[in-house]
Amino acid sequence: MQMPEPDAAIIARKRDIVAKLKTILPATSVVDSEEGCRAYDADGLSAYRQLPLVVVLPETVEQVAAIMRYCHGEGIKIVPRGSGTSLSGGALPLADAVLMAMGKFNRILDVDYDNRCVVAQPGVTNLAITHAVESEGFYYAPDPSSQIACSVGGNVAENSGGVHCLKYGLTTNNLLGIEMVTIEGEVLRLGGKHLDAGDYDLLGVMTGSEGLLGVVTEVTLRILQSPATRRALLVGFDDTAAAASAVGDIIAAGIIPAGMEMMDSLAINAAEDFVHAGYPRAAAALLIIELDGPEIEVDALIERVAALVNTAGASSIKISTSEDERMLFWAGRKSAFPAVGRISPDYLCMDGTIPRRALPDMMVRMASLSQTYGLRVANVFHAGDGNLHPLILFDANQPDELQRAEDFGADILRACVEMGGVLTGEHGVGVEKRDLMPIQFSEDDLKQQQRLKCAFDANHLLNPGKVFPELHRCAELGRLHVHHGKMPHPDLPRF
Amino acid sequence: MTADHPDNLNEMLSVIADAMADGTPLSVSGCASKSDWGYAIADARPVSVDRWAGIIDYQPDELILTVRAGTPMTEINKTLANKNQMLGFEPPDPSVLFAKTDISNKGSIGGVLATNSSGSRRLTAGAARDFLLGFEAASGRGERFRSGGKVVKNVTGYDLSKLICGSFGTLAIMDELTLKTLPRPEDSKSVLIPAADLAAAVRHIAAILATPHEPSAAAILPSDIAALAGFGYGQMLAVIRFEGFAISVNDRVNAVLSLYPDGDSIDDAASQTLWQAIGNTALLADAAGDIWKLSCAPSAAPLVINALPDDWPLRYYADWAGGLLWLDVPTGDVTGTILRQALADHGGGFAQLIRDSGNTRSLVPPFQPLSSPQMALHKRIKAAFDPKGILNPGRMHHAI
Repeated sequence: MQMPEPDAAIIARKRDIVAKLKTILPATSVVDSEEGCRAYDADGLSAYRQLPLVVVLPETVEQVAAIMRYCHGEGIKIVPRGSGTSLSGGALPLADAVLMAMGKFNRILDVDYDNRCVVAQPGVTNLAITHAVESEGFYYAPDPSSQIACSVGGNVAENSGGVHCLKYGLTTNNLLGIEMVTIEGEVLRLGGKHLDAGDYDLLGVMTGSEGLLGVVTEVTLRILQSPATRRALLVGFDDTAAAASAVGDIIAAGIIPAGMEMMDSLAINAAEDFVHAGYPRAAAALLIIELDGPEIEVDALIERVAALVNTAGASSIKISTSEDERMLFWAGRKSAFPAVGRISPDYLCMDGTIPRRALPDMMVRMASLSQTYGLRVANVFHAGDGNLHPLILFDANQPDELQRAEDFGADILRACVEMGGVLTGEHGVGVEKRDLMPIQFSEDDLKQQQRLKCAFDANHLLNPGKVFPELHRCAELGRLHVHHGKMPHPDLPRF
Repeated sequence: MTADHPDNLNEMLSVIADAMADGTPLSVSGCASKSDWGYAIADARPVSVDRWAGIIDYQPDELILTVRAGTPMTEINKTLANKNQMLGFEPPDPSVLFAKTDISNKGSIGGVLATNSSGSRRLTAGAARDFLLGFEAASGRGERFRSGGKVVKNVTGYDLSKLICGSFGTLAIMDELTLKTLPRPEDSKSVLIPAADLAAAVRHIAAILATPHEPSAAAILPSDIAALAGFGYGQMLAVIRFEGFAISVNDRVNAVLSLYPDGDSIDDAASQTLWQAIGNTALLADAAGDIWKLSCAPSAAPLVINALPDDWPLRYYADWAGGLLWLDVPTGDVTGTILRQALADHGGGFAQLIRDSGNTRSLVPPFQPLSSPQMALHKRIKAAFDPKGILNPGRMHHAI
């Protein structure tokens, strides 16, 4: 992975930069020793590591603004970081950039049941929001699997999802407002406790912008009342295509399950070996379908779903009759990643999305790629929304295996786009999928996105080297081109 | 000036190139059902996407609909209804507020998204902007570009779908649109609960939203408006809608009625009629004054209303649990200033002039004025998409 060439002049000024930062922050909130910086050298995509120039740990919006103003004035790059759980390298440091770690922004500021929202600082963890409101029966819906550790500010940057997002949406659908600091050090408030924007939806633009447009210093999140009941079905199929069509049958019947997960044979067996959840080992595909809502509704729908999967050719059906049993059904799925970790020294987790009807073709394609690359692949899959998580098994100690695994992953993502899908459903582009962006987007598409970047950060100081495969200068992006032989203002001199 | 009706995006690129060359702004429309919303565009060449109509792809079992921007809402609603589906954000019918002729004009999907028009279910299901998954468009640079995708879960690149929704055609001209659809509820019923005043009504609704009974919409009708809707009980009413499978709707309605013994329930047909009147602002359609829309924190609604002058001939009602106020207020410039001050004093939000019965928009901005750093950012974003300012310039704010 080629990162932008570090600016040697900035690195040479490290001592001055650190001294200046220590006038903005308490000295203990500026980490410049190699040993101290080592803790921040990677995020969840740990195959990539880089020591930052210096780490800053601000705890007020004024400090963030002062750091941004200073860096903007001096042309110093900034990489924002929440809890560092990104799976795509969004928080990977740069050798010539200040790493701004938001962990000290760790307070919940306002729990507002009247308006059904929580105002929190960005370093608060996702799960802590639910913990703060569950005594009143509320919860925060987006539930990325890292929710015990990931921060809500990081959730905004990555537009994080989770297993319940077919029914309850991603972060963007559950975020009411933010306070943010621009690269110039300007503090903006977007949205609030009211709904919608009266002007351009900058809140929507910021969500999922992967730290390239600004630093979030406060979030206002919508909370929901917890459903009265949750029940799950565990359904085995001898055939992946039948499992995929069963998912379509459920949705076509007007039922939107709270969660609908699929696992393939390798994932089923790895999970079963690990947690003994009672998964059908012989099945080619396993569906975990969870329904939530009023008890009378869940009880009625669970029978309808059982009938639908039966008609679709299920080879086994189990329906949870207790909360313990429902949790057991999920235990295997939720430990799928560590379970796969037990059968392989290393694995890469991919994150493309496909139209669900393409699933049988995708399984065939993956089997063939698996042979070509000589690497195994286990599949877990958010079946309701077509989001694939193939886990490519490899051994980093074997020469070439990491490279082969990455090439295999890139081929899977190419196939996702070819089948009508996208490169990333919830993990983000970061550095991991950056160079694959031209597979999904044309040059004009990418240039238009980068022009938006230029409106926020004309000098590419915020998290450069992420998301976009090429850094175009903003002046160059702003130039107009000749179309159909027509040039606006043909009388003006051009250069 | 007669409108241009390009047949496709390539022809539109040519129209844009001409406009860039001679510096004439374009006034872009679909079915032109909401053209009175915002400022008129001065000295503009009208251009319409009304020929860009049709369903490109519809996969009900994937909840995916791909259409062209000029497709009339009537056609989209019919296509979805055939498969027992709908657009979850319940787009309002603009003909109720903006009708100029007897011909029903429910607008185009492009116009619905460009104005981010959402109805009563926005409270629980999300806004128009939450349902646009991806699009293809022509920028004011005369370039074709795509954003997003055709699947419901996607975080690849910036979410320009959010930016384009509610940008009133000032950034790009949308063509192909991919939306998320939802199943139509099998049944729908509403509970009507009398309330002493607006604050009490907001509290009743907040209490019900704090139960697991999953309302889909919640409005507040003062007694005069409730009477117009056919519920002349002489009292203010909190109206709470429950949707879903019949067995579940009945159960939840009964549970709520047991909490509010003075409440009443209405069945599917009556409930649908009432919510159409609420969502389409039909209850204020005969307004003599200007119609304004205010978005505020739900609990701020009573404070905002109480802050308005006693001598105004004010009529209003609330949707979105109190978070959306529709007002019929005296025409003129002081109105907007007072409304915006009342909002600013009570937690913020925005106030938009929706229907101008006089000359108000020449006196007070129809869209909420922006702070100077926000306006500077808006201008840079406008320039990123439309550097020559030829797409609907000044429709929202003079500077964009």
